[in-house]
Amino acid sequence: MNPIITAFANGIKKSGVELSNIVVVSDIPFEPEIIKDLGVDFFHVTRGRAIAFGTGLKLGNPDLKIVAFIGDLMTLGGNHLVHSGRRNMEMLVICVNNFIYKEIAGTTAPSVSSPSETGKKFHGTGGFSAFSTFEKPFNAPHLANSCGAVFTARWTAMHTNELTNSIANALDKRGFSVIEVLSPGPNFYKDINQINSELLDFYYKNSITKNNEDTRNVEITPEEKIITGDFTDKEKSPFIDTYNAQLGKILGDKFIPHGGQSGRD
Amino acid sequence: MKANPRDVNSGTYYMDGDVASGYGALAAGCRFIGGYPITPSTEAAETFARIAPKAGAVFIQMEDELASIAAILGASWSGVKTMTITSGPGYSLMMEAIGLGAMIEAPFVILNIQRGGPSTGVPTKTGQADMMQSRWGSHGDYEVIALSPDSPQELFDYTIKAFNLAEKYRCPVMIMADECVGHMSEKVVIPPAEEIEIEPRRLYDGPKEKYLPFKPDQDLVPKMVKAGDGYNLYITGLVHDEKGYPIKNQLEKGKRQKLPTRRLVDKIRLNADKIIELTEEGMDDAEVVVVSYGISYRVAVRGIEKARGKGIKVGHLRLITVWPFPDKKINELASKVKAFVVPEINYGQIVFEVERCSHGQANVVLVPHGGAGVHNPDDIAEAIEYAAKEKKKIRKVIEWKTRLEKFVFEGGCKLNK
Repeated sequence: MNPIITAFANGIKKSGVELSNIVVVSDIPFEPEIIKDLGVDFFHVTRGRAIAFGTGLKLGNPDLKIVAFIGDLMTLGGNHLVHSGRRNMEMLVICVNNFIYKEIAGTTAPSVSSPSETGKKFHGTGGFSAFSTFEKPFNAPHLANSCGAVFTARWTAMHTNELTNSIANALDKRGFSVIEVLSPGPNFYKDINQINSELLDFYYKNSITKNNEDTRNVEITPEEKIITGDFTDKEKSPFIDTYNAQLGKILGDKFIPHGGQSGRD
Repeated sequence: MKANPRDVNSGTYYMDGDVASGYGALAAGCRFIGGYPITPSTEAAETFARIAPKAGAVFIQMEDELASIAAILGASWSGVKTMTITSGPGYSLMMEAIGLGAMIEAPFVILNIQRGGPSTGVPTKTGQADMMQSRWGSHGDYEVIALSPDSPQELFDYTIKAFNLAEKYRCPVMIMADECVGHMSEKVVIPPAEEIEIEPRRLYDGPKEKYLPFKPDQDLVPKMVKAGDGYNLYITGLVHDEKGYPIKNQLEKGKRQKLPTRRLVDKIRLNADKIIELTEEGMDDAEVVVVSYGISYRVAVRGIEKARGKGIKVGHLRLITVWPFPDKKINELASKVKAFVVPEINYGQIVFEVERCSHGQANVVLVPHGGAGVHNPDDIAEAIEYAAKEKKKIRKVIEWKTRLEKFVFEGGCKLNK
C-alpha cells in the first residue's frame, strides 16, 4: 500500500492541485494509517460507496478535488463506477487491485483470472474459493473506458514514476478518471498460490508497458504478461459544466450556476 | 437565523404533501438532494428538482438509493444541508448508510412517504409499517429522530423542522409521512422568509490545530467543519476517538478507550425532552387515551367524536415526534387512565412502545390495519368503547378485531351486522 500512497503524494505535488482541496474517500478495505500525515481530508465509508459519497462531496462543494481509493470497485461499487463514467463526474478513482479481499481471508475479487494450467498463480484459493475460481474477470480499464471515463491507466505498485505521472495527469483532468494499481495482498495469498518471489516483484516483472493501448486488449490473463500504461486520455465536458450549460440554456437568468455564487451559506 | 428569501416561495397554495415537502426542503436551506424515484414519494423530488436550480441548489438523480444516501452524507460533510427522498424498498436499501451517517454525525434528512406492505407491497397506497425500521433499521446502537406529519401543511413545516433538528443534533432525521398525507391536496401557506426560523450549521470557529471533529459540546453534540477547509479530517465509520482516528488498534492492544457509541445514543436520549413534540386534547378527565400519529391521527379524531357521543371520556395524544419515544409522558398517563388505544396502519409497532412505557398499569389496545387504506373510524370508536368497559387488567397488547380483519379472516361479509 505504501508505495501507492507515496506515488499519490508525489502525484499531488506534481499536479496543479492544492493539497487542502483534495478529499480522499475510501471504502472498507482501504484504511492506511499514513494517510493521516498527508494533509488531505479523508473519509472512510461503507463498502463500495466511495464514488457515491465522493459525488455528494463534489456537488456540495465543486471546488473540491475528489480522489476515491477503492477496493470494492467492481462489485459493490460497480453501479457507481458505471454511472459516474456516464455522467463524467469529476473524480479520480484509484482502484487498488490485489485480486482478493485482503481483510476477508483472501476471498476472491471479480478481477481474478479464470483458471488454466499455467494460470494457477492468479487463482484465489482462500475464503469462498477453495476450489479456485472459474468466473470471467473484469477488465477494469476497459470497463471504465466503455462507461465514459476520460482517463484510464494501469500500473503495478512498483511503477513508481509512471504511477506518479498518471496520478498527476489524472488530477489535472476534468472528468472521471480511473487508475488501476496492481498491488500485492497479504502474504498468505502468496503462499497459497506458491509464488516464490515477492509478489511486488512478480507483478512488475510480468508486466509490459503499452501506452495508449486499446483497452479491449488489456485484460489480465494468466497466460500473457500484464499490460500496463496510460490507456485512455480524452476531453469531455464534466458533469457540473454540462449541468450548468443545460439548465442555463433553459432557465436563462433565473438559473444560479452551480459552483458559482451557489449557496455554501 | 431566518430563511433566505431566495429559497422561500411565499404564498398560499393548493398542493399535495409531497410537493409541500419539496418546498419545505428548499425553504429550510437544503442545497443538495440526491434521490432515486420511487412511488409515492417522487413528487417531492420532482418539486425540488424544479425549484432548486433557481436558488443555487442541486438535485441529482442518482443510480440507486444506495448511491443517493451515500451522496447526501458526502454533501453534508462538504458543508451543505442535504436530504434524500424515498419510500419502502428504497428506505430498506438505505439502512447501511444510515448507520454510517449516525457514526460520522453527518446532519441529514430522509423523507419517507410510507407505502403499504413488505417488499414491493402496495406502491400507490398507504402504510405506517416502517416505524420500527426507522428506529432499528441499521445495525448497531444509534438513535434517530423521526417526525410524523399529518397534512400537506405539516409536511412543509416539519420538513423545515427536520432540517433544524438534523443540524442541531447531527443525527439522522426521518420524516415518516405516509402515502395519504403525501398525496393529499390541501391548502398550504408558505410564510414569508422572515417568519421561517432555520438552524445554521454548528461550525467550529476555534484555532485550526486544536479542532477535534468528535469532541462534544455541553449538549453532547460536536461542532462541525467543511471538507476542504484544511482541517486534515479523518472521518470513519469505524469506532473512533475524538480526533476521528479508529480505536480498534488501541482496543486490540487492550487499552481502555471511551467508546463514542454511548454519546451517539445519549445525545438524543438526554435531549429527548427538548426534541419531543406532542399534542394533547381532552386529557383532563380521560379514562381512555388514543395514541396516534400521521394519517391515523386524523382518522382517530372522528373515532373519538363517536365514542364521546356515547359519553366515554377519551383523550387524544398525538405523536408528532415518534422517535425519540415519549416514554415519560406515556408512563405518567398510564398511572391515570384505564387504557390506551393505538390505531396504526400496521400489525403492531408503536403499540409495543406504549405497552412498554405503561408498565402494566393500563390496558393497551391495538387497532391494526394491514395497509393500502386507513381505518374505519367506527373500529376505533368500538375499540375505545371496549377499552372503557374492560375491568380486567390484561397483561398483553389486546388486538381489536376490526371490520376488515373479520371480513378477510372469517371469510364472510359481516360488515353490516
